[in-house]
Amino acid sequence: MNTAMTTKTTTPLRRHFHLLLALAVVLAMPLTMQSGSLASEVLIYGLAAMGCNLLLGHTGLLSFGQGIFFGLGSYTIALTLTRWPLPMPLALALAIGMGALGAALVGWVAIRQRGTYFVMLTLAFAQMFYFIAYSMPGLTGGDNGLMDIPRPSLAVGKVTLWPLASPWQYYGFVAMVFLVAFWLLQRVSASIFGRTLLAVRDNEERAGAIGYDLRLLKLQAFVISGAVTGLAGALHAMMTGIAPLANAEYHTSEMILVMTVIGGTGNLLASLLGSAFYLLVGDWLSTLWPRWLLILGVVLMVVSLGLQRGLWGLGESAWNRLTGRRRAGDDAASQGGRA
Amino acid sequence: MSIYLLQVINGIGIGMLYFLLAVGLSIVFGLLRFVNFAHGAFYLLGAYFCFQMMRWGLSFWLALAVVPLVVGALGWLTEKLVLRHVYAKAHEFHILVTVGLALVIQELVILQWGPLGENVPVPDMLQGVVMWGGFVYPKYRLFVIGFTAVLALGLWYVLEGTRLGSAVRAGSESTEMVSLLGIDVFRIFSLVFALGAATAAIAGVLAAPMRGAEPFMGIEALGVAFVVVVVGGMGSFSGALIGGLLIGVVQSVMSTVWAEGARLMIYVAMAAVLLLRPHGLLGRKG
Repeated sequence: MNTAMTTKTTTPLRRHFHLLLALAVVLAMPLTMQSGSLASEVLIYGLAAMGCNLLLGHTGLLSFGQGIFFGLGSYTIALTLTRWPLPMPLALALAIGMGALGAALVGWVAIRQRGTYFVMLTLAFAQMFYFIAYSMPGLTGGDNGLMDIPRPSLAVGKVTLWPLASPWQYYGFVAMVFLVAFWLLQRVSASIFGRTLLAVRDNEERAGAIGYDLRLLKLQAFVISGAVTGLAGALHAMMTGIAPLANAEYHTSEMILVMTVIGGTGNLLASLLGSAFYLLVGDWLSTLWPRWLLILGVVLMVVSLGLQRGLWGLGESAWNRLTGRRRAGDDAASQGGRA
Repeated sequence: MSIYLLQVINGIGIGMLYFLLAVGLSIVFGLLRFVNFAHGAFYLLGAYFCFQMMRWGLSFWLALAVVPLVVGALGWLTEKLVLRHVYAKAHEFHILVTVGLALVIQELVILQWGPLGENVPVPDMLQGVVMWGGFVYPKYRLFVIGFTAVLALGLWYVLEGTRLGSAVRAGSESTEMVSLLGIDVFRIFSLVFALGAATAAIAGVLAAPMRGAEPFMGIEALGVAFVVVVVGGMGSFSGALIGGLLIGVVQSVMSTVWAEGARLMIYVAMAAVLLLRPHGLLGRKG
């Protein structure tokens, strides 16, 4: 099927190349962008899209339920920071844990089904979570969501290590978390576990026949994805100061998925590209035309019809063409070698 | 006690609409092997086209006849112009292209009719209630139950009693075999997709006088249709019927017990069915 997408040999150099690229993006955004909040949002949704990418690109699982974990993360951090005097990093860890737990629960039921059933179930669970959140106003604030989430500084005892009050200060914190999470995810996708997931994606029957426990593998991928998405949800809630019901809506799941697909599912960093494209183009277009989602829908159709490797794939081909024959030759050779 | 009886009958009315939504989704899946995320968008179009025709002063009955044809034609065009080019691609892109389409339709609807909902009047002939002794029931809802029941019979006949139907059923077993027998499968794909879109549009038209038309009803309906299909079993006509009725009754009865949680309960019902019967009540394994 889509073997050309991710089975490029991941040498250590290449892995570090992506990490360096991510670092470059993180450093470049404060220099080129006006709004620290928008920059933080790009990284936060980049994380969420990476969680989705781990499922779609690496495991072959199309999940419409990422909003559940995003919502769980934001509700968890909102509740812990407003109701219990827990240090912020611990609250963040709790949000990650809740994301993972939610993913374990949803995954446990949904992964019993395959293909289309699985896709439908993730959406049904997303709707279910929305109605749970809606019908429990005592915990989630119902329609209004939870408000006035504080953004405490990173401190040890009474010594402030890192104030998070201004948008760019917060961006620095998000950037650090993002880079660590990205590095960890890279490690996961390059590990034996990550390679096994690719085997599941490319040929489920064969992977099962070899003796891999498909359900367990998928569930593990799901839990990791839920944890990352929970983290993103928590960071988002801290950024905006609210955990709205909208974070649990279908729209959030769809947005995360669309970012992932438009960026490209070939590698994890493509998700950052997808998130940046969605948010920056959205930020620009929505001032011009409130119905810019229409264009996004068209982009999604175009990507599905003829640009399956997403913007990343498009950029890669353009780069290869620009840098000339040698590189293109290398690629052709390596592709020939694989086939 | 009679309040529960009333809610059960209400639930049957809602359930027949759910059936109508799910059966189109189910047939399209059976043949084309992907789940159409734009199905809810066709339902949305049905409701808004109905609203528009009545605003023009045309009758509800005309809308009920014309709108499914128009939306069916749109579905037919969609299959020919868009979906046909994606069949050869990886499976997830079949779904994603319909997600994109659903987004486009939803935004077009907002562009044309605005983000707020619109009310659609109940046709004059069906206003008011029917009374049998102590039993009182809205005429329109009774009409919906009767109409969808007739429609269900018609659909059942099309699937079981016509050449098209047998080609559809054979195609959902093996598309290759059917095309080897000399049947133009792509023609059937377009027809079935059009039929699916048309049934969704009928559900939209029928739902409009009960709940109005608003831009986000499409995604809500899609979620419900998924639940019905998961509960009843994918690709099964009677599964869609039983699933639709069950979900409709659960939602309706629960709305008297716990109004805020009524929508939640249909998902709880789904989870319960899944845990007991992973392939749905009437689903086949695999």
